[in-house]
Amino acid sequence: MKSRFKKHSILPGFGLSLGFTMLYLSLLVLLPLSMIFVNTASMSWSDFWSTVTEPRVVASYKLSFGAAFVAASINMVFGVLIAWVLVRYSFPGKRLIDGLVDLPFALPTAVAGIALTTLYAKTGWVGQFLSFKVAFTPLGVTVALTFIGLPFVVRMVQPVLQNFDKETEEASAILGANRRQTFIRVIIPEILPAALTGFSLAFARALGEYGSVVFIAGNMPMKTEITPLLIMTKLEQYDYAGATAIAAVMLIISFIMLLFINGMQWWMNRKFAHY
Amino acid sequence: MSIHIKDVSKSFGSFNALSNITIDIPTGELVALLGPSGSGKTSLLRIIAGLEEADSGVILFGGEDMTRIRTTERKVGFVFQHYALFKHMTVFDNIAYGLRVRPKKERPSKKDIQEKVNELLSLVKLEALADRYPSQLSGGQRQRVALARALAVEPKVLLLDEPFGALDAKVRKDLRRWLRRLHDDFHITSIFVTHDQEEALDVADRIVVMNEGRIEQIGSPEEVYDHPNSPFVYDFLGNVNLFHGRLENGKLLNGQVELDAPGIDSAENRPAVAYVRPHDVMIERESTAKDAVQAKIVHIHVVGRTVHIELKTQGLEQFLEAELTKERYGELGLKVGEDVFVRPNQLKVFIPEDYSI
Repeated sequence: MKSRFKKHSILPGFGLSLGFTMLYLSLLVLLPLSMIFVNTASMSWSDFWSTVTEPRVVASYKLSFGAAFVAASINMVFGVLIAWVLVRYSFPGKRLIDGLVDLPFALPTAVAGIALTTLYAKTGWVGQFLSFKVAFTPLGVTVALTFIGLPFVVRMVQPVLQNFDKETEEASAILGANRRQTFIRVIIPEILPAALTGFSLAFARALGEYGSVVFIAGNMPMKTEITPLLIMTKLEQYDYAGATAIAAVMLIISFIMLLFINGMQWWMNRKFAHY
Repeated sequence: MSIHIKDVSKSFGSFNALSNITIDIPTGELVALLGPSGSGKTSLLRIIAGLEEADSGVILFGGEDMTRIRTTERKVGFVFQHYALFKHMTVFDNIAYGLRVRPKKERPSKKDIQEKVNELLSLVKLEALADRYPSQLSGGQRQRVALARALAVEPKVLLLDEPFGALDAKVRKDLRRWLRRLHDDFHITSIFVTHDQEEALDVADRIVVMNEGRIEQIGSPEEVYDHPNSPFVYDFLGNVNLFHGRLENGKLLNGQVELDAPGIDSAENRPAVAYVRPHDVMIERESTAKDAVQAKIVHIHVVGRTVHIELKTQGLEQFLEAELTKERYGELGLKVGEDVFVRPNQLKVFIPEDYSI
């Protein structure tokens, strides 16, 4: 029985470390998450269905997932670009910029939200020069989500670019490929798995984001309400079951999407495992 | 295509990687750049490939000036020490890469690429592995893929940077024989870099011995091995024993010992060093000539067919290494601790320039 799970290893502490990991994960992740479903279970099926398919809630799903997806996509492109610049070139102030990348992590999200709103409002420093509205529109939500998701792709792609073998690029050049061909055929496939990981992290983070978005979104029903905001609203009305029902739906959709992204990555990694 | 390297120099900061290198390589020759690490051999190869730019000097391919031509347009084949294969491509795609990145007008059709790659796969005997990824191959197989990839673009010049350096001894030997045969079949002008003298002697038509960014000697393997023109070359191409002494009347003297110093007559009474290869050290039971040195056997070890014997000379109190065949060793019946006489069969005397203490 024991031997089915435990392969012989010269490293000690398998049982202890696995046990601790399970306990830790249960206390901090699995148990709280399961409470969502336990709480939701207090509702009847029809109550549950009407709560989660209410037009206002459905509109918020669309905004939350849509804006998170767009924001993560933007971050994937520009994150790779920033990582490229930080790894490939040396210029004065490089360290400073490298440090700036992490700032969205450190900044309290409400501060970020207020700052972005001030900038992008109709009368703000940036907003006054734009012919279209940013603050209090879905675009504003996307801007906030892009801001908070910035570090993920950069930090995932950076080490991969750093370890990228210069000789591989040289080999490509010697075989007659120009810079563009080398980039598309050799470098992109190499950094794609890392960029995807960064994408899924940025996406997950954006889905759960609340603090920075509520200020810039304006929270107009059917238009700029994000799902976490609706959950908060329900909580404030002491509708705990309703709040957890929406949370459960969000959790399941996120889980499926992350599973899909991870599956894609697993497939890619298996295909050309590094030597 | 012939390669002419004229007066090429390159420095990194204050370090002179190459100084005034001139080599002419006729079409179809296989040349080894041999030298210790830091001798500039890899820098020179990279300059020929266009991966690095020389500070001064000219590179000609068949009379055409290549110095300012970019790597992409030089049309050379290059094999890296660590293969530098594209990890996310199959063996087939790796080999086809050079053909697929050609501009539309010059690009062969899909069918032609397929044919060409299959032909190369059979040349490197990897037909069965066309759909594998580099991570699924052994080191020797990867290097063969790298070679096939370099040959796919039909280069006029093939450059190899320590191509077998990362492989184990057996595979290395097989692969270098294979490279030699390949070269004899295709006659691509080839330059390979190595720090392994045995590899250079075994494969190359001509050897360029380099040291500290300069060329020490250029010649056929026999020339550089039998007639090294400097102590460095003598030392680098195989094991060597040193006799220090003073030159007098064409003889090298040290205490009781008197050695003939062939080829040296003008320099009178100067300190000099004689170099003798281990297989040129004769061991005898009795002293038959004046230049025999008495020595004690310190250690004997048998490696395959050859017997290595370490000796300590009596007058000079220095260690010597001798190599005997197993037959000779049996005839003499040598044992550790015995006293014997050694006689250098062939020695080369170098007078150190600016010898100062």
